[in-house]
This record gives sequence, structure tokens and C-alpha cells, in this order.
Amino acid sequence: MAYKPQYGPGTSIVAENRRKYMDPSHKLEKIRDVTDEDIVLILGHRAPGSAYPSAHPPLSEQQEPKCPIRKLVEPTEGAKHGDRVRYIQFTDSMYFAPGQPYLRSYAESYRYRGIDPGTLSGRQIVECRERDLEKYSVELVGTELFDPARTGVRGATVHGHSLRLAEDGMMFDMLQRCLLDKKTGMVNYVKNQIGEPLDRVVKVGKPMDEKWLKAHTTIFHSLGGVAFRDDEEYIEYVQRIHSLRTKYGFMPME
Amino acid sequence: MTEAIYPQCRIVTERLLDPETTEKILNLIVETGGVRRMVLNGPRLPAIVPYGPARGTENPHTLRRQIHIGEQEIQLEVHVGTILLELTSADVIPALKTASDKVFTNFTYRIQEGKYIKTDPSLVDYAKFGPDFDKDLLGLCDPKSKQGPIIIQGT
Repeated sequence: MAYKPQYGPGTSIVAENRRKYMDPSHKLEKIRDVTDEDIVLILGHRAPGSAYPSAHPPLSEQQEPKCPIRKLVEPTEGAKHGDRVRYIQFTDSMYFAPGQPYLRSYAESYRYRGIDPGTLSGRQIVECRERDLEKYSVELVGTELFDPARTGVRGATVHGHSLRLAEDGMMFDMLQRCLLDKKTGMVNYVKNQIGEPLDRVVKVGKPMDEKWLKAHTTIFHSLGGVAFRDDEEYIEYVQRIHSLRTKYGFMPME
Repeated sequence: MTEAIYPQCRIVTERLLDPETTEKILNLIVETGGVRRMVLNGPRLPAIVPYGPARGTENPHTLRRQIHIGEQEIQLEVHVGTILLELTSADVIPALKTASDKVFTNFTYRIQEGKYIKTDPSLVDYAKFGPDFDKDLLGLCDPKSKQGPIIIQGT
């Protein structure tokens, strides 16, 4: 019987969403149009339209050592061209943001090649070659993994994940990289991810409503959402892992 | 002589407050009277980016602005999330509740009684401010800040 990955336990909607986002066969639903130029502006690593600076000559011009792994693994576009390694970092509000740090790292690892995700309590960073990064970022910002109000693209000064929301529903941002335009209802980025002002505003769409967020979130939340302890299967699985890890320290043979 | 012990409470809202809402609730609190000392708590909104690659550049922020309380202009330095109050007596709390009911109409809030502002100097306060420090300012001022507390004249 062929192995079929299960991705995660749980019977709740949160667990279901986690499995959905991790499963590469599930196509992430496209919600908003974000152009390549918009992403380049938000990332702030290079000027839009400029050439990709390189860290090394293209692989085709290099003498590569004889290595079976290099023959086996097809390099990504960025690696082929010798691009620099650059990053995008997300802050996700614990008030029902669709993506959450650990989930993001799992999902990206299943979906993308040549990445180095880093998970922290309230933010998640992914590093890869610049060309690949821009391709992945368009998907990460344009699809259901992103909400303009409750997810922020923040390279530095990321505080906001565990704070109460502002009155207009936006997550706290000390540098106020994005603003909610009350007339149009759109969220506009006015600074790039590290807080430098942009030449033009970048529109990332309207914030999703509370109902949509609760149906698409990947965080358990006892106030208003699905409480972790209500998902018995999840608890059973986590307790089993915890128990096995603890026992293994004493009795590796068990 | 025994010093009076004043009751304290705090107003905690479900959302972080906009400057307009802060202005409204604070003006109602000032009108109510019976408040001895007050602290606005919340995450800071610095005028200059303090760290990161953009360090030292200006940080324009729509929530960082001047508000008018009583007859005093106040520069908001934080995105207000909690209002800490020291009262002359606990009888003021129902009036605070009425004021809050008027302003916080779109989201919930709680008024909690407890001790939230320092009343006695700690060892660190003694070391930083010395033995003759005004006790009324204790717990209100950041020892690193160059700006003193703001005194609002009640009606």
C-alpha cells in the first residue's frame, strides 16, 4: 500500500485547515491580485525592474565538483542564476489570522523547494534565493494564507501577534507599514517590510470578515474560536507524543 | 501619621483605543472627577524608529498625535490599551462605568479593582530618585524619560 501522508491529527475546523494548507495537492485559493512589482516593493530587497544582484556566478558557468547529490537534485531558478539569499517575514495575529508561525513553516516546507523557514512565537521568516522568494511571496500574500488586517509582512519590529486589535480591526504595528483606507476599505502598504517609506502605495486588498477568518484560521482560541481542549483527537495525539518523548529519555527500547 | 490608602482600578477594553476614543473617555473621566492619578498603558509609538535596518528614520504614525484633555494638550506616546486610575474613593467607580458605557459602544470593556500603580518606593526607586522623591509621582514616571508627567486640572 502506498504511503499517504496524514499531515496532522484533529477533527476540528482548525485541524482541517492545518491539513489543507500543508497538503501540496490542495491548491491554495487565490483571494487577491498582487503583482510581482508590488511584492518587490513590499520586500524592499531591490528596486523594481532592476537586475537580480548575484552572490556567485551562474551554475552553468561554474565548474561543479563531481557529486552524485548535485546530479540528483535539480537546482531552483534562483540557485541556477546565483541569486542572493533574501527573506520575507510574516507576523500573524492570534485573533484568527489564517496562517500561524508553525503552520507556515510546515506548509512552506511541503510546498516549496530551496527554502529555509524559521519559526518564532509570533513571527515566521522564510529565506531563499531572491528569484524564488518573489515567486513564493506572490502566492503567500495573494492566497488564503494571508489576511491584510491580521497578517503583516514585517522584516523588523514585528510586535503585534499577541496584542489586542485596533478599533478598525488592524493588528498593532509600531511602524504602521499598512493603513486601512476607510473610504475604499482597502489595506495599503505605505512602507516596505523593514519600515522604509514606499514611493507609491501597494494595495493588498480588503480585510476578510470575521466569519471567513474563523472558517480559515489555523489557531485554536478559546475566546470566540475553537478551544484546543475541544479537539479530543488532537489532545490525544499531542499527549501521546509528549509521553513517548519523555519515556524515550529513560527507556529508549520502549 | 497613617497615610491614606486610595483605591485603584483599571479600564481594560477589548480593542486598543483610537486617539479620538481615548480623548472622549478621558474627557468624561476628567468631568467625573475623583481621579487622583492616571496612567495610559499600551504599546509604544516612537517618533523615530528605535531599532532595525530603518533605525533613526522618522516614523510617521496616524495614532501618534496630540489629544485635548480638559484644558491640556497631550502628546500620545502609546496606542492606549489600558487606563490605570487611582481614585479618591471607590464611590467614583459607578460614574466611571457610566462614562465607559457611553464611549465603548462597539466593543466590550471591563473595570477591574486592584492595585495597578505603585504607591511605595522600591529599592530601585530609592536608588534612582533619592529619599525625598514626591510620592505622587511614583509609578507615573519612567526614570529614563526626559519628559515629566502631565498635570490635568480637573473641573
